[in-house]
Amino acid sequence: MQAINYFRSILAFSFIFLATSSQSLAAPNQIKLPPETAKLPVSDLPGYNLATQKCMICHSVDYIQYQPPGMSQAQWTAEVAKMEHSYGASLSKADIKSIGAYLAVVYGTAKATDSGIIAASVVNPPKAEAAPQAQDLLNSNGCMGCHAIDEKRLGPSFKTIASKYQQQAEAQNMLASSMQKGGVGKWGEIPMPPMASLNAEQARILAKFILEQQ
Amino acid sequence: MTDNEHKLILARRRFIRNAGTLALAAPLISRAAQDTGEGVTFAGGERPLVQFPGKRKLILVHSRPPHLETPFNTFNESVITANDAFYVRYHLANFPTTIDLAEYRLNITGAVKKPLSLSLDELKSIVEQVELVAVNQCSGNSRGYSSPRVFGAQLSNGAMGNARWTGVSLKAVLEKAGVLSDAKQVVFNGLDKPVLPTTPDFHKTLDIEHALSPEPMLAWAMNGEDLPFLNGYPLKLIVPGYFGTYWVKHLSDIVVLDHAYEGHDAFFMSKAYHLPDNDCMCVAPGTAADKTRPISSLPVRSFITSVMAGDQLPVNRSVELKGIAFDSGEGLKSVDVSVDGGQTWKATTLSESLGRFSFREWKLDTTFRQKGNAVLMVRAGNNKGEVQPVKADWNPGGYRRHAIETTPVTIV
Repeated sequence: MQAINYFRSILAFSFIFLATSSQSLAAPNQIKLPPETAKLPVSDLPGYNLATQKCMICHSVDYIQYQPPGMSQAQWTAEVAKMEHSYGASLSKADIKSIGAYLAVVYGTAKATDSGIIAASVVNPPKAEAAPQAQDLLNSNGCMGCHAIDEKRLGPSFKTIASKYQQQAEAQNMLASSMQKGGVGKWGEIPMPPMASLNAEQARILAKFILEQQ
Repeated sequence: MTDNEHKLILARRRFIRNAGTLALAAPLISRAAQDTGEGVTFAGGERPLVQFPGKRKLILVHSRPPHLETPFNTFNESVITANDAFYVRYHLANFPTTIDLAEYRLNITGAVKKPLSLSLDELKSIVEQVELVAVNQCSGNSRGYSSPRVFGAQLSNGAMGNARWTGVSLKAVLEKAGVLSDAKQVVFNGLDKPVLPTTPDFHKTLDIEHALSPEPMLAWAMNGEDLPFLNGYPLKLIVPGYFGTYWVKHLSDIVVLDHAYEGHDAFFMSKAYHLPDNDCMCVAPGTAADKTRPISSLPVRSFITSVMAGDQLPVNRSVELKGIAFDSGEGLKSVDVSVDGGQTWKATTLSESLGRFSFREWKLDTTFRQKGNAVLMVRAGNNKGEVQPVKADWNPGGYRRHAIETTPVTIV
């Protein structure tokens, strides 16, 4: 009898315990998204590097790939312009024309030899100004969309990156090259788009800035 | 080439490509092979089937942020769409992949007497629980069939689903907070955020009259289980009869306003998800609209689910045709089927209703008397007098498609 009462009290206790604290005891609901696989078709057009760098900040390549076939250069360019004026993408007028031309060639009705495509595919001349400042580069390349100085966003914080690589020899070169080429896997499954329009000097300025964050 | 001819050619190509590997299912003579585009073409190849957390293999629309479409044959399985088959659509890639109920709160603020900050358990006990079966259909469902084509997710007909939602009435929760008499609109926000600070957040609004009407719900369960993560765990706004764009996922903030919502983060109400502001909500194909307004309620719509384009059906044998129909909650009046390309129509039998916002199954036994090509069509009408049009109208966003569906088959 005593044993039964003991058992009953355990049951009653467990019931109350479960009923009152089921929520706080539940493990957080966590998912792991599958990796992205789609890639933009490689092209010599300058819009290819720009698209790889700028479009992939906010969405995967399949967003573009599964648009309708047969769209013209004007239609693709208008769609890229929409990314700037409606969705706040950091794209200059020249970027929009150049990306629109590239997408119209690889996914639409245009040919790389069309005069309209050639005219739109102008590489921005390097500015004959003083050495660019890290802050300007961070802004013009949309870095702060995914990164912050001291908190994790889509990508790791600059402080975390600095503490991981600071002690490594050649850290600045390695980081500069990593930015230019992009990558996935070192910090999770969300890919870092290649910042292919950064030149070597700009990439080294950014790498230096990041490594200085402690 | 008409839409029908195009569909039939695509279906034949698929059939030829897959001939020999098909399982024969009576009364079908042969089933058209599965095509993840379902007759829609794309700029860069065909869409694969992919597996995301909590989901069976679904059609990939895009991976970041996730957007998945339900393969259409799923709708023949049941009038309720299974949780693991239900379509997924995000707008913004910066959303949490871990949600801890110990930290989660629903905040109700703004023009209320008593702002609330509720855990999910508190929300569950603050007012009476309610249940409702309702269709969630994406505004852009079937956009891939727009002619001329328009940019946007090139969806076939699978960006919709029907589920039993469990939660609480929005009205009851707002009354607990005490809505002030000058309230005009209610803004809804979820845990998803834009990647760039310059991108508008995904906020949706309901006018105060709608928010305080009996229908809208805050739901934590779908078909008796917790919401799948990708459908908005732990809480989703349910707006019965309205397009899915209003059904905010990972709902975290409800703000009552004494004015109309405007500004940067009002974008998804003030600019996106807009239709031409006229009776047909349409314009001449390829043209722009002078004036637009936000998309709202579902037009009446119906589908055949038991037969796919390109299937072969037997001559002189009874064939049961089956499908679904739904509208914005006015109530279905009739669902008719034509097996002769729209020349004659027969009334179908409607199955038991799961509620006025639910898919409703229809059935019709028919016998084909002639071999050769046949075009099946299904047409629904509702109690408000709305009937599906024969020809699809057009709008620049490719939204709200609801024309009569046609299914070309071969009788052998």
